[in-house]
Amino acid sequence: MTFQQSMVVGARASFGFLISTFLFGLLFGLAAASVGIDQVMALFMSTAVFSASAQFAALEFWQSPLPIGAIALSVALVSARNILLGMSLAHQLDGHGIVRRMMHLALLTDPAAVTMRRLDADVDRLAYMTGYGLALLASWFCSSWIGLTFGHFLSDARIESLDFAGPLVMATMMVLFVKGSNSSALPWIVSGVISLIAFEIKLPPYVVLLSAVLSGVGVGLFQVSRSD
Amino acid sequence: MAVIVYLTRAGGYLLGLQFRHISRLRPVLEILPGCAFMAILVPAVRVGSLFEAVALICVVAIMWKTNNVAIATLIGLTILVFGSELSSLTGYT
Repeated sequence: MTFQQSMVVGARASFGFLISTFLFGLLFGLAAASVGIDQVMALFMSTAVFSASAQFAALEFWQSPLPIGAIALSVALVSARNILLGMSLAHQLDGHGIVRRMMHLALLTDPAAVTMRRLDADVDRLAYMTGYGLALLASWFCSSWIGLTFGHFLSDARIESLDFAGPLVMATMMVLFVKGSNSSALPWIVSGVISLIAFEIKLPPYVVLLSAVLSGVGVGLFQVSRSD
Repeated sequence: MAVIVYLTRAGGYLLGLQFRHISRLRPVLEILPGCAFMAILVPAVRVGSLFEAVALICVVAIMWKTNNVAIATLIGLTILVFGSELSSLTGYT
């Protein structure tokens, strides 16, 4: 399959997540307008950053003068899972020069990384990720613009009810992940339990993330060592 | 912001490349995103309302049965919106 054909496969595969991306873009546009970000700046942010969680985190601190350090730290923390997604692609993007791979990684998205493992062998993974990312970026950009321009027609109550949309989308990805994996579910169960415990004892969010991931990895390493 | 987000994406990949020659680590690398999703998802569900829990259960069930992200997401969002309307009418969360 050619690079272009694989890009089309990626763009088509993104359809299911276009809805949630559109919704988040809409909410981002609304939130950006409410904190007074200039429309051009907000749309530039949506294009250059292209990360719902990072952009929402930045909005929390958006005031004059901009607290650059706080914004940078919060963006880095909420984007930490990208490191794990990137690591999981180590065996997937072969067949292209490193410069090309690095350029296209700007379009890495969670659902593309999750669905990539279910692809036929002849689909070019880098092209798939690119097509997927471009389709979601188009949806993200358009919906951000709609939110910035027409968001005031939505009531606050209706917007608040969609706060849980993020976890719902993450749940869809988790199901795809579990169904497409040959691994045991034990590391994920352990990660979930540890994150719950860490959350209940009120540890900071990044400690919750770190402890949950490390415990899951620990279980994964233990399973690998036992299977040898 | 854009640079930080890009560095997490590209940096993770470069880190993965450093470990890829250790074949035993491959299954561990592949479980990483699932661990991160669980770490974010579980606390969010813990503080969620009854309607949010119902929406989540429906989404997981539909996804498990159909693999259709669009339908699962739409139904989940519909439950969220109507659940919110209902709870504002009844005062029950």
